[in-house]
Parts: sequence; C-alpha cells; structure tokens
Amino acid sequence: MDDRKAAIVGEIPRLRRYARALLRERDAADDLVQDCLERALTRIDNWQTGESPRRWLFTIMHHLFIDRMRKAGRRGEAAMMPLDSGEALAAPAEQFGNAASREIVDALQAISPDRRAALVLVSIEGFSYAEAANMLGVPAGTLMSRIARGREELRALLDDSTRRRNIRVVET
Amino acid sequence: MSGRDFTERDIHMALDGELPGEERAAYEAWLNANPEMKARSLRYAADVEALRTAFAGVADEPVPARLTRAVFGEAPARPGRFASRWWLAAAAVLLLAIGGAGGYVAGLSGSGTAEAADDQLAEEAIAAHVVYAAEKRHAVEVPASDRDHMEAWLSKRVGLKLVAPNLTGDGFDLVGGRLLPAGNGSAAMLLYQDDGGDRISLFVTAEPAASGKGVYAHGGDGPRAVYWLGKGYGCAVVGTLPEGRLNAVARSAWQQLLAGVES
Repeated sequence: MDDRKAAIVGEIPRLRRYARALLRERDAADDLVQDCLERALTRIDNWQTGESPRRWLFTIMHHLFIDRMRKAGRRGEAAMMPLDSGEALAAPAEQFGNAASREIVDALQAISPDRRAALVLVSIEGFSYAEAANMLGVPAGTLMSRIARGREELRALLDDSTRRRNIRVVET
Repeated sequence: MSGRDFTERDIHMALDGELPGEERAAYEAWLNANPEMKARSLRYAADVEALRTAFAGVADEPVPARLTRAVFGEAPARPGRFASRWWLAAAAVLLLAIGGAGGYVAGLSGSGTAEAADDQLAEEAIAAHVVYAAEKRHAVEVPASDRDHMEAWLSKRVGLKLVAPNLTGDGFDLVGGRLLPAGNGSAAMLLYQDDGGDRISLFVTAEPAASGKGVYAHGGDGPRAVYWLGKGYGCAVVGTLPEGRLNAVARSAWQQLLAGVES
C-alpha cells in the first residue's frame, strides 16, 4: 500500500504541470490535483501494480476537469461566484516568466477544454497519440483532430493578439 | 516519389513524433517543395516549444505539503469535498473562451445572421460580466470620476457615440468602464453598482447589420443578458437582478443610449 502511495506522490509534479496548463492559476490547479489525489485514493484497489501510475492518475484528473467544465458551462455556475472571491480570476500570469510565455498561456486558456487537454497531453506532457486518446477516452482520429484544431486555434489567437498589439501602438 | 501525398495532418504527426520513420525523408522533401506548409510547420513547432517553456518550471517547483498530505491520509478537512474553487475560475475562463473564440469562429465562417449576432453579443456580455463584475479593485479601467474622458475614449475605440446612461433613478451608480475585445472588433463595458453592492454591466458594441431584442441566460441562477440590436448598436445589460428589475434598468439604459446618439 505504501509503495503505491509513494508512486502516486512521485507523480505529483507532473500532475501539477498538467493542471496548471489546463487552468493557469496555481491555487485552482493545485485544488484540481488535490481532488484527483483524493479520488485516486478511494479507488486505489482498481489500480494494478505494474500499470503506469502516471496514465491512471492523468486519466482520473482529466475526467474531473472535463466533468466540472461541462457542468459549470451548462449551468452558468461561474455566475454564482461571490464578489469577493474574484481574486482567483484576476490571478495574473506572473508565474509564467516572460511576455511570450504569458501570451501563449493566455491563448491556451481561450481554446476549448477538450482541445486544450489533447494539446497539453501530447505537446507538453509528451504522451503518444495512443496514450492520450486512451486517457481522454476518445478514438485516435478524434484526438488527432482536436490537436490539429487546437493548434490552429492557438495560432490564430496569437496572430490576433499580435495584430491588436500593433494596432494599439499605431493609434497611440 | 513517395508512396503517398502528405497533408497538414502530417505536420502535426511529425511534430508529435507520430510519423513512421520510413516516411520521414519523403515528408521533409514534401515540406521543402511546399514553402507555405513549411512555414506552417515552423510556426507550430515554435508554439509547441513556447508551450513547453511556459510550463517547464512547474514540475520543478516544490510540491505543496497539502498535496503530499492528501496521499498519506493526513489531509486537513476542506470545506466541502470537491467543492474547491478551481472550477469557478475554470468556468469563467470557459465563458470568456466562448466570447473570444466564438467571435473568432463566427468571423471566419462569415456568419452574419441576426440570431448568431444575438447569441454572440449575449455570450460576450455575460462572459465579460462574470469576469469583471467579480473584480473588487480592477473591475474598470477608467473610473466614473473621469466620465467625460471615458465616454470620449470608448466612443473612439468602439466606433460609436457612447453616452454612459444615468441609472441613479433605478438605484445604480456608475463605477466606470473598460474596453474589451468583441467579435466585431471592440466593445465597451460600463459597470454599475447599487447600494447593496449588486452590480450590473452594460455591454455596447457596433452591430451594423443585425436588429432584434431578447433575453439570454445560461440557466439556473446565473446572470441574464437583456439585449437589443439596432441602429448600428449591439447592447446588452447583464446582471443577476430579478427579471422585472433587470428589464426596467435595461429599458432605461437603452433609451438613454439612443437619446445620446440623437442629441
């Protein structure tokens, strides 16, 4: 049992990176990781030793992320946020070094959660298409099109923000 | 000649290490023969690199003790299981994405129907309200005390004559305004607050073609947008007020906006 727990703890840095890429804000991302760890512990008997803890944990976290995004989007729950918890939203991207990093982190947040997850699993976390498709529970073709669309959308947003920035400079 | 034609899809596969090794040489030759595809592949490769760089440091940060404790069963009680705040932030980003990316997609597909313009306006207005009305200190860029400047600036940037309606008769004072991206370019958001701290926002953008009016909501207790399109304006009032009161405030805002145009 403690071996398993040690293996889970060993995955926390990677889980945090995935969560940060999905949600941007540090506290929100760590809350997601904590939800994931708590859920994993209730199901630790489902995890066979020998199976990669990484894929198992990433799958759990991804499902938590997508479930919440869908529910929140459908029910407009964000609206019920009390005024004084607004700081969570305002979290500046200062955790992400230079301006180019901040810009791409912001653009990543603006693409759909499904595409974002596919892109992050493959581009940042380095999973193969087969592994990522398996974690996301979609066919490989769907994964590929999410990646292609996600990259196109990301690039369009970055081009757009470059254009806006240039326009602003000209008008000032 | 290679055995098959390559497409943009292969750019992604190559980038992600999914292109079979024996196709690699033919793929490179195809890229070299297609400068546009080559440029695209370089842009995507740079974006992947930028993404990796942006998040590279996260995995090296010290792990917060609360996460280690969660695994070893010493987690402190948190208010409400799975009731953590992260998804609130995520939902707001989702709403923002609907506004931002939706506008982008609508622009691409050339969708100009009144209905699409309605939905887009309402989505953008609600997204802006959810994000900025929740801000205590940074809700607006220009405060109400600088009203003349704000009206001139926003009018110029949005490309419309914009007069901030006086809603004190409805119990709302102007907090200030900000400039936002919108599907058709820019939008102005004016924020108002009543004595009880309830906030509503007025979202105004140029809408040359469409006309119509209606109410839009995601459902539940979320904010509603009461909107109009007409006379070149797209305008939405967003808030969580009871429906009758929101409609009354919205009517008053719209009348003053139009009176401002004609004055």
